[in-house]
Amino acid sequence: MAVDKEELKKKVLEFATKKAAHKSKMYIKDLYAADPNASPREVKNAANELVREGKLEFFSSGSTTMYGVPGFGKTLEGAFEEEK
Amino acid sequence: MADVKKHDTPMCDELKKGPWPSFVDDVEQRGLHGKQECLDMLGQLELSYKHKETHWKHGGIVGVFGYGGGVIGRYSDVPELFPSVAHFHTIRVNQPASKFYSSAFLRKLCEIWDHRGSGMTNFHGSTGDMVLLGTKSDQLEPVFFDLTHQMGCDLGGSGSNLRTPSCCIGKARCEWSCLDTQAICYDLTQTFQDELHRPAFPYKFKFKVSGCPNDCVAAIARSCCSIIGTWKDDIRIDQSAVKAYMGGEIKPNAGAHGDRDWGKFDIQKEVIDLCPTKCMWMDGDTLKIDNRECTRCMHCINVMPAALRPGTDVGATILVGAKAPILEGAQMSTLAIPFIRMEPPYDEFKEFVDKIWGWWMEEGKNRERFGELIQRFSIQKFLKVAELKPIPQMVKEPRSNPYVFWSAEEVEGGWKRDIAEFRKRHAA
Ligand code: HEM
Ligand code: HEM
Ligand code: SF4
Ligand code: SF4
Repeated sequence: MAVDKEELKKKVLEFATKKAAHKSKMYIKDLYAADPNASPREVKNAANELVREGKLEFFSSGSTTMYGVPGFGKTLEGAFEEEK
Repeated sequence: MADVKKHDTPMCDELKKGPWPSFVDDVEQRGLHGKQECLDMLGQLELSYKHKETHWKHGGIVGVFGYGGGVIGRYSDVPELFPSVAHFHTIRVNQPASKFYSSAFLRKLCEIWDHRGSGMTNFHGSTGDMVLLGTKSDQLEPVFFDLTHQMGCDLGGSGSNLRTPSCCIGKARCEWSCLDTQAICYDLTQTFQDELHRPAFPYKFKFKVSGCPNDCVAAIARSCCSIIGTWKDDIRIDQSAVKAYMGGEIKPNAGAHGDRDWGKFDIQKEVIDLCPTKCMWMDGDTLKIDNRECTRCMHCINVMPAALRPGTDVGATILVGAKAPILEGAQMSTLAIPFIRMEPPYDEFKEFVDKIWGWWMEEGKNRERFGELIQRFSIQKFLKVAELKPIPQMVKEPRSNPYVFWSAEEVEGGWKRDIAEFRKRHAA
């Protein structure tokens, strides 16, 4: 049942890159949609590994953490505002 | 080299006038002795008081390589006025359990921070961490290297991570502790390293461990999962010491209220009448407790520590869902497990954690605390997920909590409902 990790990473990255075009910072919950068969933990682990590989990046207010795709800029305040 | 204070800070200076040492004095002194950041920080604070708005930008980079937490990015939005705090990131350092330090450790930490940061610290942040206030982006990796290689310590949690677990002083110094709070805190910190260092959840999650219901770390008010020591058997009573309290030979509350003459100690008024469940009485000159009715509030024990002690059949009460007042107001944590053994490797407890995290990761909205998730669904849903049975202690009072409804599977024999049959007897 477990999803192949490399497959999942590919899906998460594709999904995030597509999304980044109009919304540059995402919550982990947004990334769950990359693969409905994967559990939240699997998506979280895949996303965190992508950060380690430099393909995604973290942004944090200090209290919440969001994911971004390097190169897709928008100011950080903008990203947090977007969610309110 | 002495620095010069370039900004006037009349409003900050007001704060120096109170009876207590002021952070303004401390920060200014450090600034005048070589840390321009301290002076710029005060200058920016003054401007924020004037504008009634913060001048710190919201968030940014979150860590050192491999970590998604522990560093909180802070940038000035008026860097041209206060250039030395243009980058002013906070570093959370995981405190040792119960916050024991050697003076050598503290000196070394201060040396590192004087060298690589503003020299300003905050012992401790409300999560429990040691907080190093203010450094530049290029100093983060070197500080992390020194912390891990020279000090043997690690970053704490921030963002949507597990936050640094914290605990009371426990058995190290407190005879009331029913738990080895330090062992539990350390074990949780090690077990959940991934959740601590990398975001895993919709929002923050906190564990706090208190050795007894006095709850010195305020776990019940401040943690998503409160672990509070308790006992199952009887309060231990030394009747001769009870008599000594009554005869005035031992000071009540270990002398804690001794700065005033409160008159002769009155066991009826000061202990028995204040027992919340009225389960104590004097039988002649012998103190009696109906332990089945005792709620382990600690009051009698706090007043007469030489006479009364917690029992010896010990474990923890687990409560969930406390939070600060951002949504729906502040909330204390709610009873989940009245009694659980807390012996390493704490498997039963960790299974519980796994279940509730699974639910929260699945259903939690962005930035929804665990307590808010329970509020949005229900206690009943929480109990189902955690595979716990409802008990009366989960209800605050009739009618302020939702009813718990049973489903047919939960009741022996179950039942069938035939709506057509029902409607024959009752018009819609
Ligand atoms: C042996 C007979 C009865 C027993 C044991 C009984 C028991 C109860 C109980 C335990 C409650 C809930 C109280 C609460 O939630 O705080 C209740 C509520 C209520 N009962 Fe009874 N009851 C009885 C007979 C009746 C009868 C004969 C009537 C009406 C003719 C009645 C009308 C109500 C009503 C209207 C409520 C709701 C009150 C409210 O919503 O505040 N009960 N009853
Ligand atoms: C003109 C007559 C009546 C009026 C204006 C009235 C009004 C109300 C109102 C406003 C409520 C509260 C609803 C809520 O909080 O959700 C209520 C509840 C209730 N009423 Fe009436 N009522 C009337 C007659 C009756 C009669 C004749 C009975 C019983 C034979 C009755 C039984 C109940 C019960 C049991 C509840 C509680 C329902 C629950 O908590 O689930 N009522 N009523
Ligand atoms: S919570 Fe209880 S055990 Fe821990 S330090 Fe306070 S009184 Fe002692
Ligand atoms: S601990 Fe509290 S509830 Fe228990 S006997 Fe003492 S005062 Fe009463």
